[in-house]
Amino acid sequence: MERRIRVLVAKPGFDSHWRGTLVFVKALMEVGMEVIYTGNQFPDEIVESVLQEDVDVLCLSILSGSHLRIIPKIAQVLREKGAKDTLIIVGGTIPKQDIPELKKAGVDEAFMPGTPLHEIVEYIKNEVEKRKGKR
Amino acid sequence: MFDRKKLEEIERKKQEWLNFSKDWSERKPEFKTYSGIPIKRLYTPLDIAELNYLSDLSFPGFPPYTRGVYPTMYRGRFWTVRQLAGYGTPEDTNQRLKFLLEQGATGLNLVFDYPTLRGYDVDDSRVEADVGVGGVNINTVNDMEILFQDIPIDKITVSLVNCNPSAAISLFSMYLVAAEKRGISFKVLDGTNQNDFLMETAITFAPHIIPPKHSFRICCDIIEYSVKNVPKWHPISFVGYNIRESGTNAIQELAFVFANAIACTQELLNRGLKVDDFAEKFSFFFSAHNDFFEEIAKYRAARRIWYKIMKEWFKAEKPSSYMLKFHVQTAGCTLTAQQPLNNIVRAAYQALAAILGGAQSIHVDAYDEALCTPTETSALVALRTQHILQEETNVVNTVDPLGGSYYVEYLTNEMEKKVFDYLEQIKEQNGIVEAVEKGWIHREILKTASEYQKSVETGELKIVGVNCYRVEEEIPTEIFRPKPETVQIQRERLAKIKKERDKLKVQEALNKIREKCWTKENLMPYVLDAVRAYATLGEITNIFREEFGSWKPPYILGLTVKVTQ
Repeated sequence: MERRIRVLVAKPGFDSHWRGTLVFVKALMEVGMEVIYTGNQFPDEIVESVLQEDVDVLCLSILSGSHLRIIPKIAQVLREKGAKDTLIIVGGTIPKQDIPELKKAGVDEAFMPGTPLHEIVEYIKNEVEKRKGKR
Repeated sequence: MFDRKKLEEIERKKQEWLNFSKDWSERKPEFKTYSGIPIKRLYTPLDIAELNYLSDLSFPGFPPYTRGVYPTMYRGRFWTVRQLAGYGTPEDTNQRLKFLLEQGATGLNLVFDYPTLRGYDVDDSRVEADVGVGGVNINTVNDMEILFQDIPIDKITVSLVNCNPSAAISLFSMYLVAAEKRGISFKVLDGTNQNDFLMETAITFAPHIIPPKHSFRICCDIIEYSVKNVPKWHPISFVGYNIRESGTNAIQELAFVFANAIACTQELLNRGLKVDDFAEKFSFFFSAHNDFFEEIAKYRAARRIWYKIMKEWFKAEKPSSYMLKFHVQTAGCTLTAQQPLNNIVRAAYQALAAILGGAQSIHVDAYDEALCTPTETSALVALRTQHILQEETNVVNTVDPLGGSYYVEYLTNEMEKKVFDYLEQIKEQNGIVEAVEKGWIHREILKTASEYQKSVETGELKIVGVNCYRVEEEIPTEIFRPKPETVQIQRERLAKIKKERDKLKVQEALNKIREKCWTKENLMPYVLDAVRAYATLGEITNIFREEFGSWKPPYILGLTVKVTQ
């Protein structure tokens, strides 16, 4: 049996806008992915969770405006600690011009408000498939 | 309201009209409001045949207040222009507040950053990324003094958006002590706390939430203290707005708010207060979403529902106890990051709905809020939107201009019915506090939010620039950036205060709060004493976290939500 795609969804720091996050979680579950939702966690706790749970994808949702101060740290530490193949994606109120900086830090993709859920689902499926090939 | 015979005639003519129009096609098989109420092609006297003008509508200023709480409404005085502000250090926000007052704002609406709202100090290593973002950073009474420096808080009304009761108790205390130090009596202070336990336990998730019943107790402590000692102050604002932002519909927005108000009323009665001692101090905060007529009907129905709850259920006698007054904010969740200037139009229509619904104060969202904290440019456009509505549109010159509209009256009746039905469901959960403890509320919110998202994705619900009329866009040039030095400035100030304060006095005051946590005594006087001794927000809130413990948000979506411990 093929392994289901394992996803960890977290809200870094204090940002409390959970509506989009849980709607997103629900959409991933509906297409058969295995989702671990950690709610709000501080950056080091998110890194810890990802390493423990051996997930294919880490999704970070942030609408507080502090993405540049919090996301790169998480991505860098994760990459350093060996999670090289984990797909890291970010969603929320991310201005377009901030996306390159996030990518430089190790984020694979950032989705702006209004992105249809199925686009993200497709993206995850394709990327996880590609990475499996590499393994 | 109508003559029987006339109604029969209208009914006959309506059949004739239906016959006449049967070959005319319509754009969609069915039309409905955002909350799912079917919309008919046309409304006639037949749809409101049972409406009794005097008992269901009456005159503005007369029960059941459907047409407004004041006899003259905006002919007497405009609503309060209350724009939300807050970012960075207390000095930064102090400047923004002064700017807004100079530009014609008539009240203040102060928002705090996340660490402050959740009761964490700036020197906590985990909070750095969120300091000064989306609100002002506050740690001690000293910050609060700087925040309001040279602002006449004895003359203008100040709304504190201190949502979580566990931190609101300290922030309100800091505001009071800051006034005390300027020689301003508690008796003249006028304004509002948010202080809503639903915000702490259902609408927002954060690490280390205290359990619902303790959050609710602190909320009621604040109300009780304020009613007795700060007579003009509104110690709670029941937050329909954020309930709506979290994905619910207009019916749920009203039902959650009123269920919460009912629970608070019951608790305060249990504490020996009389309903007429406190009900007039309740304030309400609603959203203005996209469905123009449904929103107007919502505000009109809300006044009638509140009147019935307070007058008929709780036997309030003072009119001010059963008159519903409310603040409105245009719906942030309807703003789009795509083609952001379109948000100016959205917010203007939403504000118009609030005005036609008879709001007492309004905040209009800035067009760039889906991208960042408002810039000065966008904040000014939002403010001027209110001024244009007041000065140019002429909509303000008669009271309740839509009263008597067959459609609006029909929708008002429907909203009322559906809200009372929903209140019944919450009652079956043993009231709002238990409904939160069991996760029932969370599941209800998520259900509606998912349906909404689905209808956007299928294109059933159109959002311009998102699922239709899309364009390739230029990157917006002006983005608000929080100042990176905020953390440093705030940390240095806090370190200085911690060094200079009387440590023993602080410890004694904190111990006292801890001692009182498990008694029935009101915690407010003890928090005030701690604040006077320069105890920090984090120190006080930590006591609650330690004593009451972290509450795990309930089982949702078949997932156990992991919380940081």
